[in-house]
Amino acid sequence: MKTRRSRRAMRLLRRVATHATLIVACLFALFPVYFMVVTSFSRLPLESITAQVLFPKAGSLTLASYQSVLYHSSTPFATMLMNSLIYGGSAAVVGLLLAAFTGFALSKFNFPGRRTFIYFVLVISLFPSFVLILPFYLMFANLHLIDMYIGLIIPYSAGTIVFSGILVKNYMDSIPDDIEEAALVDGLTRTGAFFRVLLPLCLPILALAALLAFIGPYTDYALANVFLTSPNMRTLALGLFADYSQTNSVGSSVYGVVTAFGLLMSIPIFAVYILFQRYIISGLTLGAVTGK
Amino acid sequence: MTGIRLEHVTKRFKEEVAVDDVSLEIADREFLVILGPSGCGKTTTLRMIAGLEVQTSGHIYIGDMLVDDYEPRDRNIGMVFQSYALYPHMRVADNIAFGLKMRRTPKEEIRRRVHEVAVQLDIVETLGRRPAELSGGQRQRVALARAIVRDPEAFLLDEPLSNLDAKIRTSARIELKRIHQQLGGTFVFVTHDQVEAMTLADRLAIMNHGRLLQCDTPEQVLKHPVNQFVGSFVGSPELVIIEGAVESAGTTSMFVRGPVRLRVRGGSKSGPVTMGLRPWDISVGRTPAPDRIPAKVIGLERTGSSDQLFLELASPSGVPAFTVRALVKSYEFNVGESVTVELDASRALFFDGEGNRIDSMSVAPSPA
Repeated sequence: MKTRRSRRAMRLLRRVATHATLIVACLFALFPVYFMVVTSFSRLPLESITAQVLFPKAGSLTLASYQSVLYHSSTPFATMLMNSLIYGGSAAVVGLLLAAFTGFALSKFNFPGRRTFIYFVLVISLFPSFVLILPFYLMFANLHLIDMYIGLIIPYSAGTIVFSGILVKNYMDSIPDDIEEAALVDGLTRTGAFFRVLLPLCLPILALAALLAFIGPYTDYALANVFLTSPNMRTLALGLFADYSQTNSVGSSVYGVVTAFGLLMSIPIFAVYILFQRYIISGLTLGAVTGK
Repeated sequence: MTGIRLEHVTKRFKEEVAVDDVSLEIADREFLVILGPSGCGKTTTLRMIAGLEVQTSGHIYIGDMLVDDYEPRDRNIGMVFQSYALYPHMRVADNIAFGLKMRRTPKEEIRRRVHEVAVQLDIVETLGRRPAELSGGQRQRVALARAIVRDPEAFLLDEPLSNLDAKIRTSARIELKRIHQQLGGTFVFVTHDQVEAMTLADRLAIMNHGRLLQCDTPEQVLKHPVNQFVGSFVGSPELVIIEGAVESAGTTSMFVRGPVRLRVRGGSKSGPVTMGLRPWDISVGRTPAPDRIPAKVIGLERTGSSDQLFLELASPSGVPAFTVRALVKSYEFNVGESVTVELDASRALFFDGEGNRIDSMSVAPSPA
């Protein structure tokens, strides 16, 4: 029989089980990061994962890996960082604008071929991006845009339209049509209503789209490798492979520099995420607009 | 100066005709209600006046200005949407001020007018809040304030009261009427609620299946509906329909249905005819009399001050019995009682086979 006491016990058990599961899941998710941090400061060559490696004594920590990465990379770290930020940033800005226009058009306009176009976009997004590397290279090589900033920014920006455009469209679908109409009656043109009423309402999804538009290009290796040939055009992703991909057991641990590089590289991503956190979470839930 | 004029306005969506050749003249400062069931085209008509839909053919004038080619923002109208359509990311004060801001009105004047309108509609305390924090009634008043503050020539309201609680709806209705009198603007109000329509309208425009059926004062529509649909749609409780026939013998014609036999004049001499009678024109009593029909109370609907009785009239043998409804004072009768019914047919309406009103037909006074 379910007495009040046993019911309360069951509830407690459930909460403990839930929390335990979540804690374990978090540990799984965070362990790689922890491992990277510990390895980046360690002076031991990594042969196997021992307790010595995982829980180092304070005295065995070193900044040697970081020094290697920052001062002894074949292309200056600052240059690579700047390049990556340029690509990530421009793709985010341009791609975002294009995605916003696309989403607006698909959501709030009714034109012939609209549904076909949406299916077309969705089908295109099924192609693994790897398949596009050769066509992109041939196109841009012919246009003499290889090894230039603009040459890479264009495919990066175009890539976000496909995914983020649909994201924006779905979000705008949940914004009632009559809010735009109220703006039209209030004195705005269709364009004005877009920039001053619809877009501000889409901030959550735009923030998410911006983050996605930034991360892809920032971490891209495949396309950048094909497009960029001069060392001073290198991005961080390229630099990581160029300098630190060989096995090398001399001096500071190879894994030390790889993880140090990786952590440094991910700082801007952490920063963007923290900045946009509020918007991204609400954008992820894609909730309908509240208030009438 | 005329308020709003629609000339032979038609709206077609691909195959479907939503609004069919509607011509309407709304006087300046009039409160016109467009009434009709869902899907009759009333909202589409309103949106065409606003410019949110473009008519397939016909012309629309707002204050003598031909607005066919004008965008909504240039038509000098204010609109209240059924869902209020407040801007969720702005505070109430900014919602109201938005239109003025777009027209580059000086800040001081904006503040003054927003405050003025907020006082008028009793929403001053909400000015700093967001729409999501307001009640339904408050949101409705903010939507109204947003329309009023721009001082437009005409106000278009699309079922603005249908999302309110029943209790608030009555007071909101009265307030709306008061605002109309204060502002003196032309109001076009769309609804499917005939009680709302009857209480608010200076004139009523009834639509069904895209067509404008009748446009007249509520009283006229009630007393002289143009057809059976209008007669049934307007008036609460609903019109009592008695389907019967006219039989003529010499110079006298009688409308006959079961126990109901009424002398009539005008109209055709014979054939099927439908009579419509208002429930408040059917009186119920207990004393039998030669001109009263015996009946039994088979149903009862109490609405506080009055009861609607469902009465089965006793028929001569072989003829199936039929029911009428009568409006009586509450608590006078109970279900199962045997009563007598008299039809005050001086205001009876007659309709032909297609539902059109036969104007010429009426009940003849009984011979002295």
